[in-house]
Amino acid sequence: MRTSSWASMFRSPFVVIITLVTLWFVATFLVFPNANLLIRTFFPEGQFSFRAVEKLVSSERAMNSLWHSFALAATLAVTVNVVGIFIVLVTDYFKIRGARMLWLGYATTLIYGGIVLAAGYNFIYGRYGFVTNAVRNWFPEIDPNWFSGYFAVVVVMTLATTTNHMLFLGSSLAKIDYQTIEAARNMGASTMGILWRIVLPALRPMIFAVTVLTFLTGLGALTAPLVLGGTDFQTIAPMILTFSKSTGSRDLAALLAVILGLATIVLLAMMNRVEKSGVYFSVAKVATPLQKQRIPNPVANAAVHVAAYALFVVYATPVLLIVLFSFVHSSAIVTGSISWDSFTLDNYATVFGTPAVLRPFVVSVVYSALASVIVVGGMLFVSRLLQKHRNPLTATLEYLLHIPWILPTILIALALVMTFDRPNPMVGGQVLTGTTSLLLIAYVIVKIPFTLRLLKAAFASVPESLEDAARILGAGSMFTLRTVLVPLVLPTAAAITALNFNSLLDDYDAAVFLYHPLYQPLGVAIKASTEGENNLDSMSITFVYTVLLMVIMGFTMYLVYGRGGSSTKRHTRRARTVAAK
Amino acid sequence: MIRFENVEVSFGEKIAIPDLTLEIEQGEFFTLLGPSGCGKTTALRTLAGFIEPSQGEIYIDGKVATRLPSEKRSVGMVFQNYALFPSMSVWENIAFGLRVRKTRRAETALLVDEIAAQVELTEEQLAKNVSELSGGQQQRVAIARALVLKPRILLLDEPLSNLDAKLRVQLREQLKNLQRELGITTVYVTHDQEEALTMSDRIAVFNHGVVEQVGTPEEIYNRSGTEFVCTFVGAMNKLSGDVVHQLRQRGGTGLAPAKTSYLRLEKVSLQAPPGNTDAIRLDGVVAGRSYHGSHSTYTIDSHGSSIRALVPEGGGSALEPGSAAQLYIDPSSILQY
Repeated sequence: MRTSSWASMFRSPFVVIITLVTLWFVATFLVFPNANLLIRTFFPEGQFSFRAVEKLVSSERAMNSLWHSFALAATLAVTVNVVGIFIVLVTDYFKIRGARMLWLGYATTLIYGGIVLAAGYNFIYGRYGFVTNAVRNWFPEIDPNWFSGYFAVVVVMTLATTTNHMLFLGSSLAKIDYQTIEAARNMGASTMGILWRIVLPALRPMIFAVTVLTFLTGLGALTAPLVLGGTDFQTIAPMILTFSKSTGSRDLAALLAVILGLATIVLLAMMNRVEKSGVYFSVAKVATPLQKQRIPNPVANAAVHVAAYALFVVYATPVLLIVLFSFVHSSAIVTGSISWDSFTLDNYATVFGTPAVLRPFVVSVVYSALASVIVVGGMLFVSRLLQKHRNPLTATLEYLLHIPWILPTILIALALVMTFDRPNPMVGGQVLTGTTSLLLIAYVIVKIPFTLRLLKAAFASVPESLEDAARILGAGSMFTLRTVLVPLVLPTAAAITALNFNSLLDDYDAAVFLYHPLYQPLGVAIKASTEGENNLDSMSITFVYTVLLMVIMGFTMYLVYGRGGSSTKRHTRRARTVAAK
Repeated sequence: MIRFENVEVSFGEKIAIPDLTLEIEQGEFFTLLGPSGCGKTTALRTLAGFIEPSQGEIYIDGKVATRLPSEKRSVGMVFQNYALFPSMSVWENIAFGLRVRKTRRAETALLVDEIAAQVELTEEQLAKNVSELSGGQQQRVAIARALVLKPRILLLDEPLSNLDAKLRVQLREQLKNLQRELGITTVYVTHDQEEALTMSDRIAVFNHGVVEQVGTPEEIYNRSGTEFVCTFVGAMNKLSGDVVHQLRQRGGTGLAPAKTSYLRLEKVSLQAPPGNTDAIRLDGVVAGRSYHGSHSTYTIDSHGSSIRALVPEGGGSALEPGSAAQLYIDPSSILQY
């Protein structure tokens, strides 16, 4: 039997060391900080207290932020679905001319998001944005703050969040058995009838899953409300950031973070329940690949084409403008008047020629690369341990390692700040808050669940007989791991490293709580450039940063999704599915 | 050579093999035959050392091997899906076990070349990645990898099941020839009766973790020890009580009326068999005919039974459905349980 007993688990000193290190890491960085956050919120002086709750209820700003967050999440659940489903249908389901180009336009949010995207929109449509200034040159009476508040946040987040639909709903659509569509047509169903009665119901579980993800994204939104929300539309996450800056209101920040965490747990539990209720893409043993559908009504066909291209313009314009503006002086953007003379390579020369300007970029690259390699390297051993030795200890460890999946990043970051701001015996009596290591630890923590789940799946997908074959030929566990198993999971590990690196590169949520003042990461630097009139000079630099990020992320996405053998594609396809959870 | 003694294998509450006692002789081609889930692969994996029995002992060469690690049992195994290491070349796959044993490079090369020649793998194929080979070639690599360490026992877990029918027949013969050449004790698992009958020296028929019968292919086929073996191995006619009654009235007095009676298809004749005076004639009506090329199968309705009969091509003019037919049955060929 493959399921090893306790004895076989502790027979190998290597396994013992891995187990002990994992236990220490889980206890120190996953369990203790979050427990500490709860204790300091509800037991401030060693006794249970509702003081934080009372402060929350009496704070109008805090209560407003709660209401705004839920309103934003509910709005996004509708708008993102409308836009996202439309995108998937025009790129993957209907025969639309230039669908490939449309897909590339809609996919631009894959290579820039978070603080970069919010800053980009702000620099184009915001108070000092090019479009706003250009229009105000002709119509001075227009409110310069027109792109601000609830409306701006919803627009930007709607466009940014449809990536989930493109990745996950798109892949679910591809799994629908085309013969079910042919059967429906054979029985006289119309194109719309088939879409409504056959296709969309089959996609319902995935639509529900991406809706929950969208709702969660809206609930925990930090960068878009912070940059574009203005004073009137602030949500929970920016409030947590504000309250955490003062020791007097940290309990309020912690309580808001706990509320966010609870909402996340409830919604993920709901999602799991729906997921377990079953998916029904195809019951066929050999499913026929989906073929694109023609829209028979010429008027409807034309209308869908127009809408698809209009949306393409909405998606592609900011990217084109960002690239364009990265070659233009800030002054020309601010005045809204650009001529041929405005174009220059000075911004790039400044970024690459001034160490202080390049520094945030380098800091982020180093942090992201280190964290990605550490988490994948560590989880390679941990996932193997969990997959090979199934017992109550490993089962508990596995659950605990998923904590970062159910807690928002800002809660994790806040818990780390509050826990390691004093000497802690679990880390050798060190104070970690304010050091460069805490952000690295946070990055490793937030990437654990995604990495673990995919690596475990990769190990599980290796046929058991390969290990048996190695064993019967006399190979020990380490030899088998090194020569047989690791080469097989290496493509997945490389893909996960690349995806982790990408997602950490422009992080703001963890960085804003944990960065070292001398090593400011990119996300924090970009956010600073959006803060008022005094920082307008850095606008062009931010455009250069954004272009560089888009190039790196685009290249990484190409490496992961765009090329390589079937095995890499297979593994990354699994990555897409698991990432949805 | 190999002995299972009161072996019990359980997975938690579920007992897969309740009490297995079995002996396999030196140099024998021994097949574990049975339907899916009958425990044959479990028995093989227990012998390989992948599963530890909850009770009983396994002896190899007279020594207790029950708790011996698989790599110390001197067994080579070919897996159902071949279990070739996809990240290695054919050569590296075959040499894997030698590498584990830290065999010198020159000796490794010699041994790999030797076994590759035996299983008819070319030098060009040895350099390829295993994914570049056909199913039949992959199977040879798996056999070579198992044999290169010169094990005393070769275990084969449905190694032909992933191949097409024609190749299966061809490899069946090659495998049997190789086994005979090497004289290696071979334990073969299959659910394919034809494979078992054509390749084996002896067969153990498994059902629900229990061995129903052990015997030569002829014994298993012609003198099936249990009703399960009789119905699982080869095609059978189940005779109604009325047919048995008719046969008893016409001379088949040895038949027990209360027992269930079976008759192999090839034991039913549609013409009076020359020289067999014991054959009893029954009248019937042709219900259908299916053509198989080398022979036809007729279904004849007679006395409440649908009795099928094999007629070789050229064995008389074709009978049309609905026409009258005579069946000739020798009562001594009827199996009763």
